[in-house]
Amino acid sequence: MANRIFAAVLLVVTLGYAVIAFTAIKAPFQYDPLGPESWPRILSIVAILCLIVILWKPDDEAFDVTRKVWFRLTAAVAMLFGYAELYEPLGFILATILFGTILSAMLGAPLLRALGFGVAAGVAGWLLCVTLMDLNLPEGELIAPLFETHQQGES
Amino acid sequence: MDTVLSGLATGFAVALDPFNLMLVMVGCFVGTLIGALPGLGPINGVAILLPIAYGLGFQPESALILLAGIYYGAEYGGRISSILLNVPGDAGAVMTTLDGNPMARAGQAGRALSLSAVASFIGGTFAVILMSLFAPALAGFAVTFGPADYVALMVFAFASLASLVGKSTVKTLLGATIGLMLATIGIDANTGVPRYTFGLPDILAGIDFLIVVVGLFGMAELLTLVEHQARGTLKSLPVDKSFVRMADLAATKWTIARSSVIGFFIGILPGTGASVASAVAYGTEKRISDKDGTFGTGDPRGLAAPEAANNAAAGGSMVPMLTLGIPGSGTTAILLGALLMFNIQPGPMMFAQRPEVAWGLVASMYIGNVALLVINLPLVGLFARMLTIPQHYLTPLIAILAFIGIYTIVGNPHDLFMITGLGVFGWFLRKLDFSLAPIILGFVLGGLFEDNLRRALSISGGDWSILLSNWKSLLLYGLALLVVLLPIWLGRRARAQAAREAATR
Repeated sequence: MANRIFAAVLLVVTLGYAVIAFTAIKAPFQYDPLGPESWPRILSIVAILCLIVILWKPDDEAFDVTRKVWFRLTAAVAMLFGYAELYEPLGFILATILFGTILSAMLGAPLLRALGFGVAAGVAGWLLCVTLMDLNLPEGELIAPLFETHQQGES
Repeated sequence: MDTVLSGLATGFAVALDPFNLMLVMVGCFVGTLIGALPGLGPINGVAILLPIAYGLGFQPESALILLAGIYYGAEYGGRISSILLNVPGDAGAVMTTLDGNPMARAGQAGRALSLSAVASFIGGTFAVILMSLFAPALAGFAVTFGPADYVALMVFAFASLASLVGKSTVKTLLGATIGLMLATIGIDANTGVPRYTFGLPDILAGIDFLIVVVGLFGMAELLTLVEHQARGTLKSLPVDKSFVRMADLAATKWTIARSSVIGFFIGILPGTGASVASAVAYGTEKRISDKDGTFGTGDPRGLAAPEAANNAAAGGSMVPMLTLGIPGSGTTAILLGALLMFNIQPGPMMFAQRPEVAWGLVASMYIGNVALLVINLPLVGLFARMLTIPQHYLTPLIAILAFIGIYTIVGNPHDLFMITGLGVFGWFLRKLDFSLAPIILGFVLGGLFEDNLRRALSISGGDWSILLSNWKSLLLYGLALLVVLLPIWLGRRARAQAAREAATR
């Protein structure tokens, strides 16, 4: 069943891909026998054939995900999106402390240790990546002004 | 022979440079650590660390040496969790659990670990030696390939992928096609026409390779870990003082030799990596030498066979990647993508044009093998400690590393959403028994496949018969057909035989 649903969703996407390949993509002028549209057309036909085979004869694989696990997974994905959303505004350190603490706590770490892990990951990650390896990570729009005023105060 | 020796000299000059030598060591060490983490295989490790290695801004040969070290080390480290936890890090390590874990349970964990380290070392070294002999010859032959032959080569690669990898041929083929379709997104290089960009400026240049890799492997792995979290904690067996004896080596020497050969040649086949190699080697060894039925109960030969084979396959799968530009496994597909990011086109010309990269990599694999043996024998206790890291810290750590890696490349938060989205997609694919390696292979080879097809048809003026006009392409199509039909035929025969035996009984 899960196989059929997944294949059906992919089929809709692939049909969209095929429609674009057969109608929308065109080169204004071209000298070669194969234009930019030919390859996507071939691929869409192969993909549609594969999907029809899967819809016709799906494997009878049980999709054993309980409600509790679905909840966990949804929460984890939501946290990841939240982490991505807050990455620049909060900056690496704060966002990582928040994300590391909440996710590890949700996965069963004791609360205080989770907090310790989050803080360690945020601070050590920053020191290691920015100070030591010179990588580019966001300071954070909220914190950057603090840094600047602090520096101005010093100078 | 001369080219091999002078090439190796160039290579060792690069690899023995103190900085690169340090990178080999660091790569092997970090790789072993990652490989030892339960549930995290070489492909995920390389995927997560690739953007960080890229962001460090090293020379191409240095970055590649580092990545190859990680790949190699992770193949090595995988056996630690297989033996002590009975949890394989990836498909290639499944066979190691069959005899490795029973040995550890019988109180011979140290002996199992050291024996497997030696078997890995021999398998790996054997593969590198064969590779340095074969690769230049194969590259010399591949120079004569025209666009039509390349098309045939790709068809062969995907055919062997479809028939040997994964449970379902259709699903593997679909996976490869999804990868090829993802590769068509962005501006078409020949005509400048945008395809499937929907006006989004972020994907005009195509979906970045790193995003696909980190999303499909790193993030999907993370979601799988979250899913499995409920299954309870893992218990690691202690490492004891027992050690491999000369008698063990004497008893397993032919096993190791046979398995190394099997591993190397299966590794060369495009698309099939360590998982197929170790399974075939174990099966062969069981048929040849399992006379008392001790395989599966802690027989040293049953441990040595898959370990020698999967390290030999790791070397073997480098051969088509370096000489033809066609990766031999999912992980080498990622390394190939890494080369492309450094503007190096792997393929027959690489040994001639960028000898320092090609031979430097080969030489670093010689050094890496020795380094791994030296690191692994005394430090195995330290690596085993990695197994006790609780999963609830490991899981967020993967996300943090993946985000750091992706963000440092372009500094665009849009990419962070993309990897999470691809991670969800990848999790569904894994859950439904699609293997992810074909997707990444399709994605990496998409541009090359399309270009060669278009070029071939430009040469012939639109006549499709050019694809079948030459003995090299015909041979490759023949091989492709063989590789698809042979397993089906063998399966039929085995089933027919079983039916006949059942009938006579």
